[in-house]
Amino acid sequence: MRLHVIFRYDGLILLLNGAFLTISACISMFGSDSALFPLAYAAIISLLFGIFPLIFIPATYDISNKEGLVIVISSWLLSCLIGMLPYILWGGDFTVTNAWFESVSGYTTTGSTILQNVEALPRGLLFWRASTHWIGGMGIIVFVLAVLPNMGMAGMMLYRSEVSHHTMDKFRFKTKRAAQILISVYFGLTLLETIILAFSGMSVFDAITHSFATIATGGFSTKNASIAYYNSAVIDWVIIVFMVISGIHFGLLYAVFTKSIRRILQSSVVKYYLLALLIGVIVTTISNYGTQYSSWLTSLRFSAFQVISVGTSTGFATADTNPWPSLTHILIIFFTLQCACAGSTSGGIKTDRIILFWKTVVKKVRQFLHPKAIIPVSIDKSNIDPNVLELSVLYISIYLMVVFITTILLTAMGVDSTTAFTGSAATMGNVGPGLGLVGTVHNFSQIPAAGKWLLTLNMFLGRLEIFSVIIFLSPETWQKLR
Amino acid sequence: MIMGLRLKILSGFLVLSLMLIVAGIWSIYHFHFIGESVQKLIDNNYQSITATNTMINALEREDSAVLLLLLGKWENGRSLLEKADSVFNQGFRLAEKNQTLAEEADLINNIKSNYQQYKKLWQLPIVGTSKENNLDWYFDGIHQAFLDTKASVNDLNLLHENELYRTSIELRNRANRATMPGIVAIITALIFTLMFSYLINYFMVNPIIRVINGITLFLKTGEPFNVRVRTKDEISKLVSSVQYLCSNKSEKPDK
Repeated sequence: MRLHVIFRYDGLILLLNGAFLTISACISMFGSDSALFPLAYAAIISLLFGIFPLIFIPATYDISNKEGLVIVISSWLLSCLIGMLPYILWGGDFTVTNAWFESVSGYTTTGSTILQNVEALPRGLLFWRASTHWIGGMGIIVFVLAVLPNMGMAGMMLYRSEVSHHTMDKFRFKTKRAAQILISVYFGLTLLETIILAFSGMSVFDAITHSFATIATGGFSTKNASIAYYNSAVIDWVIIVFMVISGIHFGLLYAVFTKSIRRILQSSVVKYYLLALLIGVIVTTISNYGTQYSSWLTSLRFSAFQVISVGTSTGFATADTNPWPSLTHILIIFFTLQCACAGSTSGGIKTDRIILFWKTVVKKVRQFLHPKAIIPVSIDKSNIDPNVLELSVLYISIYLMVVFITTILLTAMGVDSTTAFTGSAATMGNVGPGLGLVGTVHNFSQIPAAGKWLLTLNMFLGRLEIFSVIIFLSPETWQKLR
Repeated sequence: MIMGLRLKILSGFLVLSLMLIVAGIWSIYHFHFIGESVQKLIDNNYQSITATNTMINALEREDSAVLLLLLGKWENGRSLLEKADSVFNQGFRLAEKNQTLAEEADLINNIKSNYQQYKKLWQLPIVGTSKENNLDWYFDGIHQAFLDTKASVNDLNLLHENELYRTSIELRNRANRATMPGIVAIITALIFTLMFSYLINYFMVNPIIRVINGITLFLKTGEPFNVRVRTKDEISKLVSSVQYLCSNKSEKPDK
């Protein structure tokens, strides 16, 4: 593995971060707030570390799979390190642990926060916080691929390392073209939501930051009460629609604009995703009616928002879900684990894997009945490789095991079991809030410092889909450093 | 981007310097601010707190003097009252002159009016009048005026104590903001130095070693000089020159 190649590509990522830090510093400067220096200094460091390898190291396009993987993971780590600088330099509630938690939560689009008073943050820092969602949402590498000149094989390696295996299968384009399509859908949706939210009564600043968080399925709000602050049904429904859209494979969304809406509706993954959300909303609405809300419409509004917020791994809140009936809690936990479609900005196990899991179960049952039969598994008329099925089941098993181990460790640190389990699942699925002390109206400030570090590891594992991290950490990856 | 070795090395040191200089300037600014804040703390709040303490002490002494007058000790009582009044006025003038907070003016006016009312009561003769030994007059009249005045002085004291606390918190944050850039600069400079030395080693020192080894091999065994470098700088020119020299030497062997 060639360290200088990794330095060069990481440099590009740092330049991207530097650009967003500069924009945040400008917002801070125009608002004359106290975050100007923290943002400006972080921007300087990011830009200098980004430019330097570019002038020192010649361009390299022949990168290996391992190098691609290390570039992707190191760029996430570096981005999170650079991302925590403005927080540490600004001070306030941000200790090193808290700043790291907030930064990782931002980039991985988790949206869990340690802040007790979000509104005390200056505007520049709030914008930076939302930007970390937006940068991380699309996957840092995809961002860079979309704006860089043709990178040939290097681009392909990075793209493979960055996006989910399921995404690759269903989205066969040339790397740069694919990245550009993803970015254009991402950018278009963000712009559209910003405009609609601004017309719905949000300030332009809030509309931008909330759009960043919605399309990235992040969940950071500029208000302590999250979306509940606005107390507007129009804003709630606008965000609900964009959360649902952001949970769909971006390639399919692009196809809607270029071909027809039938393309989306023909996808069994999307059909399952929408059906699951619909059932979740209906059951939650019925459960909450009479016990929490006196009218059906109010129950529908708040239930739909919370179910879709969790089911798309966004994590915004309009209601405190802690007092809701137990059945709704079970549904929330299910959606926290499942989340939305591969190829979107969502986290969690993903609907694609859930479908593959059930198809594998059905296949195995049929195999028991007809031991000699060859039973193919297909989705949307295309056969699925048995290796993919095996990997999906293995992924779900490891995913649940990680959630379970984190829950035990958090409980050992003195955190109550509900908070520990839902906190672990919410961070692993990059959802944001859980139940108990980390519920929708609470935050992660109560979690012990060691617990916060553990949860950030969960966020990484969830965002990078476990296997990448395992390969990255294996000694074999680091054997031949040259 | 094609850059010469000198420019590359210079850029490395410039980056390093820039990171340290910006952090240094920011730390200096914050430390300067802290110094100013401490001075302001002393000038604005501490002086006013001292003034209020002086006023409270003077008021306590005036109250004792009133009690002496009630007991009929005219000489001791009046002398103590005059001295305490002078001390109170001294404290009041200091507080009046040192108004730094928006809410302070109202509190000062309040002290002034309360004290005037209190003073009116003890300025009138007490010894030899119906007020002498009259505890009801003391508790219902003059002592109540004393308590009102003391409460208004305490309000001023509390205002400055709160401000002192707020400024102290602000100072703690400022101290954090002053030291953090330094810590960040040290860590980033260290990381940058490691990266810089790796790059110097990989793109400058290693190619030079390979050139030296190539020349040695050529001279010892006559094996063609075949060193390749990927950078387009003085080292690549050196390699081309050595290649040219070696190929010339191969074509024209020493006689």
